[in-house]
Amino acid sequence: MKMRELSLIFVLVLLIAVVSIINPAFFTIENLLEVLKNNVVTLIPTLGMLMVLLIGGIDISIASTMALAGMAVGLLFKYNMISSTFLGIVIALAIGAVCGLLMGVIIGLGNVPPIIATMGGMYIFRALAYLVGNSQWAGAEALGTYKEFALKDILGVNVTIWITILCYIIFFILLKWTKFGRNIYAVGSNAEAAEISGIKVARVKIAVYTIMGLLCGLTGALNTSIYASAQPNSLTGKEMDVIAACVIGGVSMSGGRGSVGGALLGGLVLAVIAKALPLVHIPSIAQNTIKGVLIVVVIIVNVLTQRAMNRRALARREM
Amino acid sequence: MAGKSGRTINATPQNVWKKRLISWEGVLVVILVAVLILCRAMSANYTFENVLREMPKYLSEMFLMLPMAFILMMGEIDISVGSIVCLSGTLGCFAVNAGLPFPVALLIMLGSGIICGAINGLIIVMFPELPSMIVTLGTQIIFRGIAEIMLGGGGSISATNADGFRAIGKSIGNIPMVFFLVVIASVIFVLISTKMKFGRELMAIGSNRLTAFYSGVKVKKVLFITYVTMGAFSALCAIFFTAATYGANTTTGKGFEMDAIAMAVFGGISSTGGKGKMIGGIISAFVIICLRIGLGQKNMNSQLILLIIGVLLIGAVVLPNISAMITAKKKKASV
Repeated sequence: MKMRELSLIFVLVLLIAVVSIINPAFFTIENLLEVLKNNVVTLIPTLGMLMVLLIGGIDISIASTMALAGMAVGLLFKYNMISSTFLGIVIALAIGAVCGLLMGVIIGLGNVPPIIATMGGMYIFRALAYLVGNSQWAGAEALGTYKEFALKDILGVNVTIWITILCYIIFFILLKWTKFGRNIYAVGSNAEAAEISGIKVARVKIAVYTIMGLLCGLTGALNTSIYASAQPNSLTGKEMDVIAACVIGGVSMSGGRGSVGGALLGGLVLAVIAKALPLVHIPSIAQNTIKGVLIVVVIIVNVLTQRAMNRRALARREM
Repeated sequence: MAGKSGRTINATPQNVWKKRLISWEGVLVVILVAVLILCRAMSANYTFENVLREMPKYLSEMFLMLPMAFILMMGEIDISVGSIVCLSGTLGCFAVNAGLPFPVALLIMLGSGIICGAINGLIIVMFPELPSMIVTLGTQIIFRGIAEIMLGGGGSISATNADGFRAIGKSIGNIPMVFFLVVIASVIFVLISTKMKFGRELMAIGSNRLTAFYSGVKVKKVLFITYVTMGAFSALCAIFFTAATYGANTTTGKGFEMDAIAMAVFGGISSTGGKGKMIGGIISAFVIICLRIGLGQKNMNSQLILLIIGVLLIGAVVLPNISAMITAKKKKASV
């Protein structure tokens, strides 16, 4: 576990070092903060996806939920229904939470496989994102004061980055030192054993998907503010980026294994690669191919090290 | 024949037709008829001929549903097929534009699909610890990424010499050629899944992989063959999709994998493996296709169709689960 995070840090440092040597423009505070700000919309839902993967589930409806929440806020500002940024974010959070709760109830109480339930959710929420605005979209001038929210700096660091940091701290504590966090790991490692030992598995599942939805609502709201536009087709395919970040960060798809630190590192590796490719003169067209190869290589290396470790453990027992 | 448990075992099934009617496949047929009547009532243009004319656009996705059903029956999944369609379509357009004869272009498309499927199959067979979802997530990004690199900055290509594709897109009488192919492929897949050893082996792997392995099923071989078939049929889908669009771009085939999975799952094929019938998937595919054509004719917002498919998808899995829960509770209460 610890080994894995150390090796990821090593990869990350190596990546930054190589890119900085080729192009010194990369390693400046402004540029690194820019990288972070551009990836807020991946880093925040990665936390939720971490929890979902930890209980052995998956959620591919997240991009649609983000689009729906972002659209709703954008339209409310466009038609001057609300003018307070705070209220806008609260509404987005509420929409996300309702979407997540719906998924959680279907998965937890309806016993539907997560991939199927969230696939349905993916269709439904995306369709709602189009239908709420009658396929309209909100541009920069329509968003008024709301778009300025993401431009604010606190202590020289963008406010969206502060929000991301806050989320990571909360989730680190939540997963490591609370009963709920340990329940999540228990359900992911062995749901039946967890149920027998008194954990309400269905309740944990519902809570996890609701939190995932909550984070999606937040991400949707931030996305609308950062890019100063709300479009129904925004963030399409984001769910795959988020899952990829988790997997690179060592989160197991079968549940029970993974940590906040790993997920963060996975997200950062993807973010640095995306930003670094143009700087080292690899055309950005090749970015996706490299990302895909990276995912496949990482998961295969992961399996090979796991096999080697098991073999070593077995050998020790035979002695 | 009362057993020890007091239950009677009846060897000769009675009321076969009644059983068939209340099975999920029977329900699907009723839904199909209802959809047809509803669409006809909504729009006077919803005639047999018009529906057939619009079908080729949607029918190409049927080629994805058939092998996808096999993969789901094994409890696996493949979300890279949309990207294979994109890559194969792009290669086909490049081949045609380079002046290669049309059959060669077709072979290139099929070959690329088979290679992609083989890559998926190889990784999944070699590393059984890896969930197929994450393997095909990686290859999904890679296959589309290669197509993106080939397409370059513009991101799209149109087949300048499209005579071959036009010939494929033709109809015999009123019925488009692709329709015949879909029917033939469907019959073959139904026969494989019901009458052949391969189909039984798929189901055995889906219900319990370890038991299947110990009973002599060559699990790895079956897995590999199915993924290669999936790749080949993705190429087939690409061929007919290109024949309907005369080109390819970076978004070609995006979401096809989800449509194919939705068709299969709505047809009662469980994504956890070992459950479902091929015929259910085929009927449900026609339900979705007919619904799409009907709502499209009414100029209904295409997003509304997505909404309906989403609800149908969840409903198809939730409702049987809930009814099973209620009967289980009743049983408990009566004991």
